[in-house]
Amino acid sequence: MTIIFQNLTKNFKNVVAVRDFNLTIEDGEIMGLLGPNGAGKTTLILTMATVYHPSRGTVLVNGSDVKRAPTLVRSMIGIAFQDPRFDRLLSVHEVLDWHAKITGVAKGVRASRVEDVMRRLGLWEVRKRRTWALSGGMKKRVEDSKVFIQRPPVAVFDEPTAYLDLQTRLLVWDMIKEMKEEGRTIILATNMMDEAEKLSDRVTIMNLGRLVALGTPSQLRHNVKGGEVIEVKPSDSFKIDLEALRMLPNVEDMSVSDGTLKLFVTEGRKALPIILEKLSEQGIGVESIYLKEASLEDVFLQYAGSKLTS
Amino acid sequence: MATTAQNLLQDKAIHRLLVTLVARDLRVLVKAPWIIVSRGLAFVVQIFVFAVLMSRLVDVPGFDFFTYYALGTVLVTVASVAFLTGYDVYEENETGMLDYLLSLPLSRRGYVMARSVGGALRSLVYVTPLFAIVAFLRGFFNPIDIAVSYVMIFLLATGITGLSISVALSVRNQDRFDVSLALLELFFIRFSTALYPQAFMPLAAGMIAPFSPVTMTSDAVRAILGHGTIDLLGVAGLLAFVISMLALGAAIYLRKIEGGYFD
Ligand SMILES: Nc1ncnc2c1ncn2[C@@H]1O[C@H](COP(=O)(O)OP(=O)(O)O)[C@@H](O)[C@H]1O
Ligand SMILES: [Mg+2]
Repeated sequence: MTIIFQNLTKNFKNVVAVRDFNLTIEDGEIMGLLGPNGAGKTTLILTMATVYHPSRGTVLVNGSDVKRAPTLVRSMIGIAFQDPRFDRLLSVHEVLDWHAKITGVAKGVRASRVEDVMRRLGLWEVRKRRTWALSGGMKKRVEDSKVFIQRPPVAVFDEPTAYLDLQTRLLVWDMIKEMKEEGRTIILATNMMDEAEKLSDRVTIMNLGRLVALGTPSQLRHNVKGGEVIEVKPSDSFKIDLEALRMLPNVEDMSVSDGTLKLFVTEGRKALPIILEKLSEQGIGVESIYLKEASLEDVFLQYAGSKLTS
Repeated sequence: MATTAQNLLQDKAIHRLLVTLVARDLRVLVKAPWIIVSRGLAFVVQIFVFAVLMSRLVDVPGFDFFTYYALGTVLVTVASVAFLTGYDVYEENETGMLDYLLSLPLSRRGYVMARSVGGALRSLVYVTPLFAIVAFLRGFFNPIDIAVSYVMIFLLATGITGLSISVALSVRNQDRFDVSLALLELFFIRFSTALYPQAFMPLAAGMIAPFSPVTMTSDAVRAILGHGTIDLLGVAGLLAFVISMLALGAAIYLRKIEGGYFD
């Protein structure tokens, strides 16, 4: 299903959580929403899901306006919340079975689907345990399971692998991809670029409530000036003559943070020795130097002027 | 895929969703059975020790204080359990659980209705054992009288649930919320004729008492079970209360939840 955000703004008192947001999510794609904490990802999702009312603008889900047909919109969306949301007194099985029932999973398939998902995500052994007694990682698995059981036309995962161990993370990624293969539209909010990069067909980068960049992961990487990055850890970053480096032919842009110098370059193999030579001319020692392809982190750095993970 | 959405919107499905939501309120109650058991025990002790003692002290001819007090206690219990829904909703709002509930495929109107009915049904389930004890002891076996009493108790509980939901969504500070509900409980329950006839109350309380819905309901329930008569004034007052509280609750709920928390 297609989802269209039209000039969406959402304020909480004097905080502007989402600002003039325009985006079309295509039917059947996985759209990554990448941004640091506080970027507005969760607010964007919950406004689309009719939990919040837009302050200005609107969202259309499969042609239905969240303001005019909220109940219809709700019936198309399933959300795995960022912070697990379920009754603490109920058991894992009761939480998931109730969610399946209330979201209209047909009676004939409900029991088996709940069981399958619980088994795959390692919840079968704890199915009778009350949810308040679960660890953070287990709670997250229960939260993700809701959507895997519901299998809605629009599936939303808000930081689905936070608190999960590596193995479970990979499993959740696989299960999200399976949902895509069934033709569902998927929104994946995350502050982890590897997650956005591995799963998403396209990525929307958000910062301070705004859309700052949009494209496939490789498009975004190529948009980084030069497309390659040389990362240098100099022995003494204060003494470097940055302007001299900026004048070098292959250097497109640069940034310094935490004593590390990032140079966005073209033809990195050629640039690398020239840069090393320039540094040694300035009497600067080099602790380490790497040549890499630009990552989404670099994209973020370039567009937002700050680091993604703080 | 669109069919899932369409199925959900059929009326039959919506009824099922409402029932599922109501069942959630009941299930949480059943999950904490010690509350019911301890309340039940407290009730038995209270009516036996206190009511029997008092009915000896308050020896007014033609007046059965034991029955008066026992039925009053049932009503007080219904009212306090109905107030609990307010605490639940407040907590759901604080913990973000409300976000989840609001994302489910239900209309807001249906949601408000299901919550009020769920809270009221929960209080009914809660007091049924107590009610049965009193009915058994006093020989109230007329099914029609009992059914009418139940309807009135249900109405009272629905009204209080609606009120407590409104307070929960309007008062956003924990201390002020606790105080507000405590004051309302005081007015509804302590300043009512549930446990003592108006004549025995302190002057101020006696003047407020007739306006308490708990007064109206307990007097009406005693009238029908004790004398087989309908207390029309009480029933009318009760109906007015329920309708206004549900309207208030729904209005605040709709504004609040459609507007997000801070709009
Ligand atoms: N319910 C709320 N009430 C008030 N402010 C909120 C609420 N939800 C989010 N915010 C604020 O809106 C901004 C965006 O938050 P959020 O959408 O949670 O970002 P993200 O999910 O990207 O971390 C933050 O400044 C946050 O403090
Ligand atoms: Mg978030």
